[in-house]
Amino acid sequence: MKLTRRNFIATVVGGVAGIQVTPLPWKFTDDVAIWTQNWPWVPVPPTGEFSEVSSVCNLCPGGCGISVRKVDNRAVKIEGRPDYPVNAGGICPVGMGGLQLLYNESLRFTGPMKRVGMRGSGEFQNISWDDAFRIIAGRISALRKSGRPEAIAAVDGNREGTTASALIERLMQAVGSPNYVRLPSLSDTYRMGNIVMEGRDAPVAYDLENSDFVLSFGCGLLEGWGAPGRVMNAWGMWHDANPAKRKTHIVQVESRASNTASKADLWVAPRPGTDAALALGLAHVIIRSGKYDAGFVAEHTFGFEDWQSTDGRPHSGFKTLVLKNYSPEQVSKITGVRPDVMVKLAAAFRLAKAPVAIYGKGKNDLNGSLYEFMAVQSLNALTGRINRPGGVLLPDPIPLNPLPYFERDDIASQGLKKPRLDRGGTQEYPFTQSLISNFADAINRSPKSPIDTLMVFSANPAFTLPDGGAFKNALAKIPFVVSFSPYRDETANMADLILPDCTYLEKMDDMVWPVGLQYPFYGLSKPVVKPIYDTRNCGDTVIEMAKAIGESVGSAFPWEGFEDVVKERAKGLYDAGGGRVSFDRAAPAWKPQNPKAGDKPGYNSFDDMWKKLMAGGLWYRPLDQAREWPWLFKTPSGQFEFYSQLIDQAIQRASAKDLRIAVRDDAACMAHYATPTSTANRSDYPLSMMPYEMINLASGWIPSPPFLYKTLPDTQLLKETSFAAVNPKTAAKYGLKQGDLVAVQSPVGEVQARIDLFGGAMPDIVYMPVGFGHTGYDEFLKGKGVNPNAIVQAEQDPVTGYPVWWNTRVKLVKV
Amino acid sequence: MKKENDHGKPGHKYGMVINLDKCTGCGTCMVACAAENNVSVRPDQSDKERVITWMRLYRITNGKEFPDTEVSYFPRPCMHCDHHPPCVSVCVATATKLDFHTGIVSQIYTRCIGCRYCQAACPYGARYFNWWDAYFPKGKGLDRYLSPEVSPRMRGVVEKCTFCHHRLMRAKSQAYAEDRREIEEDQYQTACTEACPAGAITFGDLNNPEHQVSKLTKHPFTFRLLERIGTEPKVYYQSSRDWVRKLGDNFLPGEYQPVVNKTWMKEEWSTKPGRDTF
Ligand code: SF4
Ligand code: SF4
Ligand code: SF4
Repeated sequence: MKLTRRNFIATVVGGVAGIQVTPLPWKFTDDVAIWTQNWPWVPVPPTGEFSEVSSVCNLCPGGCGISVRKVDNRAVKIEGRPDYPVNAGGICPVGMGGLQLLYNESLRFTGPMKRVGMRGSGEFQNISWDDAFRIIAGRISALRKSGRPEAIAAVDGNREGTTASALIERLMQAVGSPNYVRLPSLSDTYRMGNIVMEGRDAPVAYDLENSDFVLSFGCGLLEGWGAPGRVMNAWGMWHDANPAKRKTHIVQVESRASNTASKADLWVAPRPGTDAALALGLAHVIIRSGKYDAGFVAEHTFGFEDWQSTDGRPHSGFKTLVLKNYSPEQVSKITGVRPDVMVKLAAAFRLAKAPVAIYGKGKNDLNGSLYEFMAVQSLNALTGRINRPGGVLLPDPIPLNPLPYFERDDIASQGLKKPRLDRGGTQEYPFTQSLISNFADAINRSPKSPIDTLMVFSANPAFTLPDGGAFKNALAKIPFVVSFSPYRDETANMADLILPDCTYLEKMDDMVWPVGLQYPFYGLSKPVVKPIYDTRNCGDTVIEMAKAIGESVGSAFPWEGFEDVVKERAKGLYDAGGGRVSFDRAAPAWKPQNPKAGDKPGYNSFDDMWKKLMAGGLWYRPLDQAREWPWLFKTPSGQFEFYSQLIDQAIQRASAKDLRIAVRDDAACMAHYATPTSTANRSDYPLSMMPYEMINLASGWIPSPPFLYKTLPDTQLLKETSFAAVNPKTAAKYGLKQGDLVAVQSPVGEVQARIDLFGGAMPDIVYMPVGFGHTGYDEFLKGKGVNPNAIVQAEQDPVTGYPVWWNTRVKLVKV
Repeated sequence: MKKENDHGKPGHKYGMVINLDKCTGCGTCMVACAAENNVSVRPDQSDKERVITWMRLYRITNGKEFPDTEVSYFPRPCMHCDHHPPCVSVCVATATKLDFHTGIVSQIYTRCIGCRYCQAACPYGARYFNWWDAYFPKGKGLDRYLSPEVSPRMRGVVEKCTFCHHRLMRAKSQAYAEDRREIEEDQYQTACTEACPAGAITFGDLNNPEHQVSKLTKHPFTFRLLERIGTEPKVYYQSSRDWVRKLGDNFLPGEYQPVVNKTWMKEEWSTKPGRDTF
């Protein structure tokens, strides 16, 4: 028979039909099934009794409520808590993957250890806690005895206001070292901005949920800014399926088509670092139209109109300055944004019922710029959006009890008189509490490290600092480094001694005021599972350590353990009154509620409140939106200051140059834009590099749960290489195609990445994701991609001194 | 569907509506799904042809030049195609079936012989083959977070989204224990739905007019992926942006009909909204 197509088909079909009627294939399939069921190498998770434990996620400053499903004593799933004020049920991907940070032995330290291999090799040997305490206490005591307590330093990544950070700071005070260094974050920029313009040392509080027009200058609303659980929940609310019901408009100001920029109602793309100019351009349009909130400006602000100081000197006001320097045409030259866009945007902002302009830079992990914050805040003041519902609120700090006074010994008093290594708080950095870049610099510059013993808490500065690797170099020079990290991160790998903390699911910890939230909030997490390894809550370790050092240091820590301290501080919440420890979904915390006179707080004694606080993990005060004006602003003028007298005073004490301010005279005390300086040569380095953050990749000291790598597209990470996003036009200029391997070179270093052609990248800018390029941790994270921080060349931000990490000059060289 | 199940008695038809305006592209749904369903995580997750993601985020862009570029995301679970799911028709081992009582397309790993016909047949790429055993290396202790509610898979079988079927079982046992016949809307919700921080995913019974999903599917912005090949997905999407809706199917030039002036619950809106006109 000749095989034609026709009889071929007939044969096949006939054959198939034949097979269908015999029982053989079915029997065979069944056998296969039974055989596969007996494969021994597939894990069979043991079952047991199911339970749910409520706690709080502490992986970012967001403070989402979580509920952890347990089977016997194993935690098997993390979920968001719908009965929690911050996140209302959802959480972010990092929090969702949290169990992979708990149950991964090669990611963690399983007990106290000392280094045996080379620094950075990650080779450690188990020791006992007693030995660990003996080593560290001995070292600190010896330095104190020799009269050098200032050679002890601490780098603390815990958020300001938390009990852990309060204890660490206290330890440094008791020991007698001024070198307590915190990592700069967006919260510091907020704090400083609030001090210079409002005289309030308080967190920023944006009433987003009640606003109908959110003008976001750089906040990665969908990239993890603020309290991500809260912001994304608000995002969902803003985007009702029925567009007629959408009351809130979102405008994103950012140079790259991030998720936020893409999903916003309008995306405005100024050049990186020119946000201040854009904000002032909008202010110009509003002032020129005469439609600003004249009442607010007249009653509650200082420095708007021209004025005269007591010594008779005339000063130009904010109005004059803005009208002179920031017309849409002028601003367009700086920012690249079309003048008509500015005019339209300013009108929309002004006409909205409850607009708010918010300031940020990606997530919260990195600092912003003070003058940019001031420009955005000036826009709020101009339109009377401060201390108004849906605007910027000015709540009081959380009434936690301060830790009790303690006596220092002579060694400590002498030590504390020594200057800080980072020069924070000096005339050059008057408002800055600590400056880790100066700290690293001081060590790198001296032939012998002035710091003998460095303790690192909840931080991984060797990876997270945008400093071109400066901190890493400093680490190598410090004779003795102690890490309290639960994870085998880059900094811990450089340490000589490890006193591992528990992970967030194994310990009590507190969460003070998630970034940007508009009402006072205090969260308390509790151990979901018992520590699975020989690790201890870092708060307990600090107390133990102080006791091991003994003398006045030991007596400064009269507590049994960390929990006592937390409780003692929380007593302040009870004494202040008015807080709630349970949450009713029907009354979201951001909805203005009129507390009636007879309202009971839901507890009748402090012990009762403490019990409920531990069980529920939350304390908050419902939103009290607008507060009485008198005494609200604690500036020298008692008003909101367009012209900051505190900056003026700082300039009097030092000079504008010492403060690194580019402009002179009145402008220096007000929001302004100045072209950032860079020592790099533009012709050698024609492009600039901007690190960017993503919500589905952890970029701070917490490692990414490996689950997250499933969510990353293969245009961000492919095998061992990460990608740099560049505009196709820019790539064409250098003859680069999708996937080409390039060296991104800056004056301080080079990293290799593949090119991703992305239309949403601003031309001439190279965008690199932060969070790749680990050398620590385990096979899931190690050696994947590169860390752009390693090539950042950052100048210092005027006044604050924080790194200007968004302006590194680079060039691309094809490999 | 109504007619086919249980001799004419209308059953459940579980489905999902994902609002792409709300979707932030965060990927929590993907992580939640993997964590809930014991999905294996290997050291290299960048080989997208091998990596297992029952729920997968597809990143799309509108292809415009700077500064008009936009990105968006399609979170894609299994579509649980109705009537004749392509994967079910080709399965030689009856390892995957459409359950007429629930509308869920199941996958029975122990029956699966790993021929991967279904994977080839699925137009949505929702099926994944286990090239290796589940990755839980000794000494790491990663297997300690595994949930006993879902069996981990072995090398050589295909797996996919089950609409978190074990959660339906859980809800059923609960109802049985409490002597109820019916399961309420909030008692059976999938892991991805619950996890989404923006509330972008709505899950429920498409046959129950009281459930949110039944209402949302009537919205003019609602569409399905590759709707015209007739797979009748039970996963719906919504977007107010034309370019996003357009990418839901392969349209010939001029074939796509933008949603203009359609009214939904008449009085509420009647203009074309979205970013283009802001
Ligand atoms: S947003 Fe922050 S607090 Fe919330 S789950 Fe994620 S990491 Fe945790
Ligand atoms: S969790 Fe929700 S917002 Fe995030 S990607 Fe999935 S659907 Fe979108
Ligand atoms: S329904 Fe369940 S199985 Fe399907 S994608 Fe969502 S979480 Fe995964």
